[in-house]
Amino acid sequence: MNKIVAMAAKDIHILFRDKLGFFFTIFFPLMMAIFFGAMFAGLSRGPASIPIALVDADRTAGSARFVGRLEAAGGLAIERIPGDQALEQVRRGQTAVLVTLRPGFGAALDNPFVATPEVEMSVDPTQFAAAGMVRGVLLEAAGAELQAFMSDPSRMSVTNEQNRRLIEEFSPPSEARDDLLNVLDQIPRIPVLIDEAGLGSVTTGATGGFGPPLEIEQTQVQAQRRGPTNSYATSFAQAMLWTLIGGSVSFSMSIAIERSRGTLMRLLVAPITARQLLAAKGLACLGATLFTSSALITLGITVFGVTPTSYPLLALALLCGSICFCGIMMVLSVIGRTEQAAAGVGWGIALPFTMLGGGMVPLFLMPEWMQTLGNISPMKWTLIAYEGAIWRGFTLSEMLLPCAVLVAIGVLAFSIGATRLRWDTG
Amino acid sequence: MLVFDHVSKCFGDLRAVDDLSFELEAGEVFGLLGPNGAGKTTAINMAVGLLEPDEGVVRFADEAFDRNPRDAENRRSLGLAPQSIALYEQISGADNLRFFGRLHGLRGSDLEERVAACLDFADLVDVGKKVVSKYSGGMQRRLNLAVAIIHDPELVLLDEPTVGVDPQSRNAIFERVEQLRDEGKQVVYTTHYMEEAQRLCDRVAILDRGRLMALDTVPALITAHGGPGNLVVRTGDGESRHETTDPLGTLAELQARQAVDHFQYLPPDLETVFLNLTGRALRD
Repeated sequence: MNKIVAMAAKDIHILFRDKLGFFFTIFFPLMMAIFFGAMFAGLSRGPASIPIALVDADRTAGSARFVGRLEAAGGLAIERIPGDQALEQVRRGQTAVLVTLRPGFGAALDNPFVATPEVEMSVDPTQFAAAGMVRGVLLEAAGAELQAFMSDPSRMSVTNEQNRRLIEEFSPPSEARDDLLNVLDQIPRIPVLIDEAGLGSVTTGATGGFGPPLEIEQTQVQAQRRGPTNSYATSFAQAMLWTLIGGSVSFSMSIAIERSRGTLMRLLVAPITARQLLAAKGLACLGATLFTSSALITLGITVFGVTPTSYPLLALALLCGSICFCGIMMVLSVIGRTEQAAAGVGWGIALPFTMLGGGMVPLFLMPEWMQTLGNISPMKWTLIAYEGAIWRGFTLSEMLLPCAVLVAIGVLAFSIGATRLRWDTG
Repeated sequence: MLVFDHVSKCFGDLRAVDDLSFELEAGEVFGLLGPNGAGKTTAINMAVGLLEPDEGVVRFADEAFDRNPRDAENRRSLGLAPQSIALYEQISGADNLRFFGRLHGLRGSDLEERVAACLDFADLVDVGKKVVSKYSGGMQRRLNLAVAIIHDPELVLLDEPTVGVDPQSRNAIFERVEQLRDEGKQVVYTTHYMEEAQRLCDRVAILDRGRLMALDTVPALITAHGGPGNLVVRTGDGESRHETTDPLGTLAELQARQAVDHFQYLPPDLETVFLNLTGRALRD
């Protein structure tokens, strides 16, 4: 028994000495627990505010009142911006939904007997869950607006008077016209009659007889341009991200491997400079990640029907992603001096950033603070660039931001790594 | 030629090399002999420019030049076989040679000629295309040595080249070192095996705890520091050992007193030199 205990104790001792094993045994599960806990904690308190863009094409008191009601309802983070700009924002994936209050919206809101207020929802096709929530909030706000109207005899009287004038002006005298005017006279009395009939406590709204309080026309933003051809368009973008991560972690280990195998000593004794050695490592990482990510998307295109919206922009995104992860490789290789340490540090850093960057769970499912925090993740910018070229239909100017961020991270990280890299062989 | 001029190197409180001075002579095999921790590898690392001395100077000097070990020109003229086998195991022996040859500026037919010559030198022609991980330990050792000379350097530094190899492979390495000497190369050979130093080295520097204890040819070292030899005799009373500088005279004296059944003379060697210099055995 003592021998068994001794051997078990030895294995446990080695496990805790092995940084990689220790990371995956303790820290990674802990990180997963914190990450998903934080995410679902947000869901249990109700969904995080969904970012929507709102365009008020009606610009009336009624539409303004409706917007105020939406803002007060909560659940939506409303940004009011010009229409074209808002549409581009949805296309870029920065906003889940664009809500447009069409002309005549306010008039219909104030006169539900003759028209239904109309809105248009332009939706990012990857965010249907968010779109469903937005639709619910819109209908709720419209219902509340109609209920307020029906509960206010004075507003109904004013509307009735307007409708009476319209009927009298445009309809010649007839029995039908007289019946219609009589009905209009009775409408302001509806709340009183409900009370007199003892139904005040059982009616919860006055919308029952009027059909849906809001007419919603939903369109997909990408469907009008070029959206994801199929689900592989998004999954291959994520796969390409993972190949960059794997490549950079592997290459970060290569310097440690050269050191432990003794070949670093041979390299340093050869008539080459440390700068040449660094350049070779960077070039190898760049070439390998470019090759693997290109091979993946080529497979996606030829076998799985992925159709990039722009091949030149895809090439640009691939190049910038690889540059970024070459820099990350260099920093990781500085931190871990042994093979195990390099691997442990590499995955230990890569996985949390991948989580934050949307590499595991779509960003819109995360709480708002986590989405904001995701901006520090190179993985997020890589995904934006890849998706922008594959199915979001980015223009060159739209592609510049993620690509600039990626190149900046790459250059900065490579510089830090190169200056801190210790070329000693021991 | 390689010159160490009052060189010292410390790692924290440990003085790994302490005031070491020597000059290599043309065409010699120069031994650095000492136990583990004597400072041999530190000296080699300073010779190839991997470490900077804290005190003193390491340089490559001749009538025509006086260079720092880190000079690129200098690196072309030296080859290092590290103590650990420093090869890429996933590629073939020939490809290892090609890779390091390219780093030293070899191209085209020159490169291929050198690869072939080095495979021949290491007796690996038949397995040159096999990946190194399939090689035996002895084959890897020979390739480790061959990689050091792929660019035909003037000076070859061999850091404990026989560690962990079987006697047959060790002999093969000895032959390669002798071949290098025959080709006129300067060789620095570090070892803690006195037999190797005694067989291969023209001159030997004995190091202990970073300090140079003695430096000379093997016979001169033995003469100066070896002391008397040992005559071991077996008689009817058992075996006895007698220190002597005149073994024949001593044997005659012993035989005059009692019949000697068997005798063996153990002359002084580098082991006794080291023992006399440091008060410790080389293997301690």
